Amino acid sequence: MKFNTAMKVVRISDEVWEIPVTEKSGMLVPARIYGTESILRAMDTGVFEQVTNVACLPGIRRYALCMPDGHWGYGFPIGGVAAFDVHSGIISPGGVGYDVNCGMRLIRTDLTLAEVQPKLELLMTELFRRVPAGVGASGFVSMDRSSFDRVMTKGARWCIEQGYGWHRDLERMEQGGCLPGADPDKVSDHAVTRGMNQLGTLGSGNHYLEVQVVSNDRIFDRDTAAAFGINGQDQIVVMVHCGSRGFGHQVASDYLKVFEKAMRRYGITVKDQQLACAPFLSEEGQDYFAAMNCAANAAFANRQVITHQIREAFAAVFGRSGEELGMELVYDVAHNIAKVERYPEGELVVHRKGATRAFGPGSQDLPACYRSVGQPVICGGSMETGSYLLVGTQRATEDTFGSTMHGSGRTMSRTQAKKSIRGEQLQQQMKQRGILVKAVSMSGLAEEAGFAYKNISEVVESVERAGITKKVAELRPIGNIKG
Amino acid sequence: MPASFHFLDDVALADLAFDAEGDSVPEVFEAAANAVMEAMADPKTVGATWERYVEHAEVDLAELLFDWLSDFVYWKDAAGIVFSRAEISVTRAGVEWKLAGTLIGEPVNQATQVLRNDVKGVTKHLYRLHQDNGRWRVRVVLDV
Repeated sequence: MKFNTAMKVVRISDEVWEIPVTEKSGMLVPARIYGTESILRAMDTGVFEQVTNVACLPGIRRYALCMPDGHWGYGFPIGGVAAFDVHSGIISPGGVGYDVNCGMRLIRTDLTLAEVQPKLELLMTELFRRVPAGVGASGFVSMDRSSFDRVMTKGARWCIEQGYGWHRDLERMEQGGCLPGADPDKVSDHAVTRGMNQLGTLGSGNHYLEVQVVSNDRIFDRDTAAAFGINGQDQIVVMVHCGSRGFGHQVASDYLKVFEKAMRRYGITVKDQQLACAPFLSEEGQDYFAAMNCAANAAFANRQVITHQIREAFAAVFGRSGEELGMELVYDVAHNIAKVERYPEGELVVHRKGATRAFGPGSQDLPACYRSVGQPVICGGSMETGSYLLVGTQRATEDTFGSTMHGSGRTMSRTQAKKSIRGEQLQQQMKQRGILVKAVSMSGLAEEAGFAYKNISEVVESVERAGITKKVAELRPIGNIKG
Repeated sequence: MPASFHFLDDVALADLAFDAEGDSVPEVFEAAANAVMEAMADPKTVGATWERYVEHAEVDLAELLFDWLSDFVYWKDAAGIVFSRAEISVTRAGVEWKLAGTLIGEPVNQATQVLRNDVKGVTKHLYRLHQDNGRWRVRVVLDV
């Protein structure tokens, strides 16, 4: 067997593979997996099973897709993309992910490696102090229920109103850092209580804050890089990966229960309980969409408060304000989300789970500063191997509902990784290679070792060759904070 | 055989899976709770200055266990607590199962506790509570 499935997998191109509708009972559209042959060979059985399960969901259009960083997830695979007709299709928390609007943010600076290296230990200590991470950490923003209601409806805009950021930050976020249609009345008290004190916290798992350097020889598209504020002269940038924390998870859990019951009423059957869904325009579907938008907005706000703390930390260490240090936001983009977008088929509910929106040049959804070049796409690799800044293409809009990869994707379980290396040993090894790591949990650090992930460069090359994103720059880590 | 749990190597690449078992319903509930507590922090490093009494009632025993394990995740976020132990009783009343439990722990302290994963939730992926040759067993995947 060539791949980890008994199903027939047809080669469409060197980077696109298709499982026809004849391979599983109930498939309404073919499934398409992106990646080179070697990437597909390494994919777990779950990807093939799950992407074809998604292809059976009511109202799905064109293809059920999986990106090359795909692996097993809950219901949908991680890396999954699927679009459903607004009128006849469904919405599913399993297609969004538990961590609603988990996403990436990149902040540029005018600082160089030579300026930062002598103060790196101090900088990482200051960042570690100001950005709480790990189990049960709470943020510095004091919050009551009415304030949190405003966070849910205003997203990052609420933070700017409180002084946590600059007004121009908003235009460099997917949808301005605020999804419309958020209704706090559709969110349970349980979810609010879990989320209220977590604003400005990283969490744990694969979430991180990373100080990175962009070298001149690792810029692949100089004009686009310049448009994104990346000059590549050993330039320091900061990447943040986190989402809506316990709040988003509770929203997803609450509505999975609601949808399990609703499916019986609407006569929907699914191949996997974690694909529980409801018609998008049903009362349950609209309630979830309103609650999911609340969680997405809380995630934008979370990353905005963290950005404020990062600027404050840099200002404290380098004695110049964030503005003087040129700490502009490059972009903030979600990779766990469902949104209504317009395609030739009409209005579709596009689910991206571990997949990034990647709109090409000319899209009216992009801010004026990026409309001529395309949307920045931020892809996080493992903390040892580095990350990438990419740009969206028109081809993505045509082929993948404007979507691409989001990271490197795991190949080894957390339990296995912990058995392979101790956190303290990994921390020491990384220090010797010039990467300073601050971690709340040493076992959590071991779980995130580079060998537990795919080679991100191979994943990036495959989406470039497939034409759904283009490489702009590679970002090399020099400091990392983990929960 | 005593109640026990162990984490699994090859299930849930990005998350954390475990099997728990016991000779009775309260035993398997206790073993699964111990696994969730261990996933968050080393209970031996956590004190007992905080406690919370919880009650649940469900017709479906698996749902009852799901609610019980979710309590640990909820209080971890809502009150910033990690746990050292838990007490539990499970009884049957007609068609319903009733659970009364106490979660015991203390506020997160990075200086004194060995902290592990910030568990975001209990999932229903591969979730199955069943009796096998008189022994109660459950497989749980935690989203981290």
